[in-house]
Amino acid sequence: MKKKRRGAETQAGAVELNVMPFIDVFSLLTTFLLFSAVFIQIGVLEVQIPFLSNAKPPDFQKPERILEVKVDLSKDFIEVSTSWTEAPIDEKKKQFQRDKAGIAEAHRELLSIRTAHPDLDKLTMFTEDEITYKELAEVLDAVKFLLPGETLPPPKDPSAVKNGEAQPSLFPKVIMGSVML
Amino acid sequence: MASVNSEAGETLSLNIMPMLDVFSILILFLLMSFSTDPVSHDVTAGIELPESISIRSLDENPMITITKKDIRVGDLVVTGLENGDVIDSNRTQGAIAPLFRELEKLAEANRVRKDQPISQEGPQKDALTVEMDQTLSFKLLKRVMLTAQQADFVAFKLLVNKANDG
Repeated sequence: MKKKRRGAETQAGAVELNVMPFIDVFSLLTTFLLFSAVFIQIGVLEVQIPFLSNAKPPDFQKPERILEVKVDLSKDFIEVSTSWTEAPIDEKKKQFQRDKAGIAEAHRELLSIRTAHPDLDKLTMFTEDEITYKELAEVLDAVKFLLPGETLPPPKDPSAVKNGEAQPSLFPKVIMGSVML
Repeated sequence: MASVNSEAGETLSLNIMPMLDVFSILILFLLMSFSTDPVSHDVTAGIELPESISIRSLDENPMITITKKDIRVGDLVVTGLENGDVIDSNRTQGAIAPLFRELEKLAEANRVRKDQPISQEGPQKDALTVEMDQTLSFKLLKRVMLTAQQADFVAFKLLVNKANDG
């Protein structure tokens, strides 16, 4: 006695799945996705320029001695300097080559400054006229963002903590100091 | 397997499974590269953007485009460029006069939109997006920024290509 076969085949012959509607859907989906695909991802580097403000003057009860961080970008080198706004000024300068290794060293120097002063968030950058936009973007990357695996201690002022920040920043506020009349 | 019967009574079959495989892979790739950014922008022809590790996305701000030939606000060409700098007749105290006039209009529109009296208005917090060729110098960008500063724009979003490993 022969057992009745089940599954893809019946006694009448092979049963085929009609895949044409499936292909139709795939074709439409592919067309739609090809039209809406973005092959070059555009990002932005946020910078500010100095401006005169008519905002309230700073609170004089708060300590005035603030550490200022400056980056000088010239054709030959990158200079990272720090100084205090009140005496003792204690100015420190370090120069780095303007190649990939030098930029990485400057980044590490800035990271150590930021680690020692967790409340800092502002950096002023001075750029020579001859620097190209490509070179500027390279240095801005090193100045603005933390690399994978790098972390910063939490700021002493809890209100300075920004929750949900998409990309961890080294110096979120970069002021283009050269842009002055 | 799709099949058709020929006139001679033979059944011709086409194996469409490889095509389905290709379609599946293509759809998977396209779905992965599908952008959910609220604003998309096509880079202007002739402009090559530098690469950056920034993952911040573009948003809706007025756009200044600096190509090797001219400077534009939106689609409007405001000045031509010669040897990577603004032509002499359009330069005033380091700034760019026609660009300033266009940015003033934008700043004015922003003020009206915010319904704030002009006299009480401080510097505009609204940012400008700058799209610039990577080979152009900071000197030109500085002129644009100086001009924008005079029209009360003090924040800039410099357009870059997101690096693949970023």
